[in-house]
Amino acid sequence: MPDPGRVAALRDPWRRGPWLMLAPWLVGSLLLVGLPALLTLLLSLTAYDGISAPVFTGFDAYRIVARDPLAGRALENTLLFLVAAVPLRIIGALGLALLLERPRRGTGTARVAAWIPAVIPDVAAALVWLWIFNPLLGPVNLLLGALGLPTPGWLADPETARIPFVVMAAAGLGEGFVVLLAALKGIPPEIRSAAALDGAGRVATFRAITLPFLVPWLVVLSIRDTVVALQWTLIPALVMTGGDPYYSTLFLPQAIREEAFDRFRYGPGSALIVLLALVAAAVSVGILLLARGRGVTDAD
Amino acid sequence: MPVDRPSRARRAALLATLVLAALALAAPLPVRGDRSISFMAWGDPAELTAWSSLVESFRTAQPGIDVELIQVADQSDYRQRLGADLAAGTPADVVLVNYRRMAGFAWRGLLLPLADRLRASEMMDEGAFWPGLLDAYRWRGTLQCIPQNIASLVVYYNRDLLRAAGIADPADDWTWDDLLAMAKALTADTDGDGRTDHFGLGVEPSLMRVAPFVWQHGGEVVNDPLRPNRLGLEGSLAREAVEWFVALQTVHHVVPDAVEEAAEPSEDRFLRGTTALFLNSRRGVPTYRAAAGFDWDVAPLPRDATAANVLHSDGFCIPAATRDADAAWAFVEHATTPEAQAVVAGTGRTVPSLRAVAESDAFLDPSLAPARSRVWLDAIPTIRTFPILPGWVDIEELADEEIERAFYGQVSVEEAIRQAAERTAPFFLAGGDA
Repeated sequence: MPDPGRVAALRDPWRRGPWLMLAPWLVGSLLLVGLPALLTLLLSLTAYDGISAPVFTGFDAYRIVARDPLAGRALENTLLFLVAAVPLRIIGALGLALLLERPRRGTGTARVAAWIPAVIPDVAAALVWLWIFNPLLGPVNLLLGALGLPTPGWLADPETARIPFVVMAAAGLGEGFVVLLAALKGIPPEIRSAAALDGAGRVATFRAITLPFLVPWLVVLSIRDTVVALQWTLIPALVMTGGDPYYSTLFLPQAIREEAFDRFRYGPGSALIVLLALVAAAVSVGILLLARGRGVTDAD
Repeated sequence: MPVDRPSRARRAALLATLVLAALALAAPLPVRGDRSISFMAWGDPAELTAWSSLVESFRTAQPGIDVELIQVADQSDYRQRLGADLAAGTPADVVLVNYRRMAGFAWRGLLLPLADRLRASEMMDEGAFWPGLLDAYRWRGTLQCIPQNIASLVVYYNRDLLRAAGIADPADDWTWDDLLAMAKALTADTDGDGRTDHFGLGVEPSLMRVAPFVWQHGGEVVNDPLRPNRLGLEGSLAREAVEWFVALQTVHHVVPDAVEEAAEPSEDRFLRGTTALFLNSRRGVPTYRAAAGFDWDVAPLPRDATAANVLHSDGFCIPAATRDADAAWAFVEHATTPEAQAVVAGTGRTVPSLRAVAESDAFLDPSLAPARSRVWLDAIPTIRTFPILPGWVDIEELADEEIERAFYGQVSVEEAIRQAAERTAPFFLAGGDA
């Protein structure tokens, strides 16, 4: 027999309301994220070509991936990109937020300019960056050449081909910028005034007051940017290089796409997705542990 | 403050709306004819007019069957879209598939074999196709697709640039040395800034482009054309041919280097009038007719010890998962009638697979560029095909990466050939799954 207390609770709109509000999101997440994730995990334990029924093969797909030099190359490229792009995005967003925090002449325009690259569709942005980094006709090399500096081949040279990807990712820091700008506004002004009265300089105020207030936001942004950066390369890579030259811009998302949809090897393709998710989880946990070591907890 | 509960009537209305919305989404889309099929093809805007005119001519011939044309702009997007659609079991009813990719689908049973339908057809006759062409579409002896064209590699040339340099048009029997001499004469740094502004030649560094040169020199692309299990580029004649091809860039610099090619692709340079000779199949014709602001024509590939060329051909295939095989076949039959082939040939896109159409004015129309279209027909006896293997696309992709590295001077030809042979070896295995 149902507990009359619980039935009453369910009838109470104040208890039921939040769940009803959450329901569309919960159902959507379960159907569109949870279920595919579970299926991917199961597929990674099979040999499956999309046509005949999947055959359970244990960890064979993971062994295939481990032996595949291209998968290794894609993982290496992805990690190199991650290590360069995420800190650049966070530091860039923080620097811009500090610079544009106080309203001065032109601040509004500058804030919009910082935000705009984040809302340009990736395909359009990639085409623009392709031109910006054109080794002979693009503005970057024309400027470098005019200054008498070396003009790299950028996307045509395996040594420099990843740099435009990092720059493009860093330029799309608008969301992080807005979040940090809002966080800066949340710091009670009297604390900074008190510090100024006590004779603290700008650097000391930043280190002792501003930064500690911002750390929780920086942690959230770092984790979010890590997850985004791991997946983000797909469209820019397809538009700008297709993985060339000689696999120097082959990142995991493209490797997954080719493995599954070009070669019909859904087992190894799914194993690569699991690998991508593991990298995201490991880096996120690393960031959290680092933050906790510095005394940041959920309570902050 | 109490929250208003929605009234029973409002809840019922909401539910009804949701149900109606779901039903609307699930309902089949309205169709024009009694039956409806889809045809998927790829090409840039100028090429896609060929497929639109084909679809229009079918709608006129068979008003009872509606055809939806699915156009994909880029060839690699098309391949991935086709692969994903076939895997999902929802492909278009007629798809264009290159003969090099056909086996990859056929061995998985994704294509409807067409041998019986062709034999029973009252509209089509096997003998009307160019001899040997149908063999490129046989998987384990069974015909899978109906070829729509029989193109090969030719040298497009900018006659204005040749005239300005006092050079005569390439002869029908020109040689590798003639090509190199002409390319050298047409390569120039016109503004004296130390960087080449006009290139003699443009060519994509790929197995598809290098193969005819390998064959012409007496080499083989695979170790045994009948039972291939490894690339054949390690043979000395094949290696010499690859070395000659690579030297066009690394030694003679008549072709843009990696940076120059990335800055402006050779085909764009050809269209802009800054590259004199450009290697391509027939597919360039619609675009060059529309966009080239100069007098241009085509010459046969130069020859070495023998003449040889490589087949460029797409076929109409019907996926096994088609919703209406008979309607799809009706479209393929129509597309392969002399009338429909003449319509498509008129757009410039194809070298018709039907011999009679290819030898008619529909293809050879002397008033339309290129005036020397006959070079494609003259090359047909020398055309060779790549092996029909399920893993061939992977083999080409890997080999292309290595050939490109050698072509741009990043590794030696010997190293590139060794890497290509080793990396592609697993894909020669039966079934193609390495």
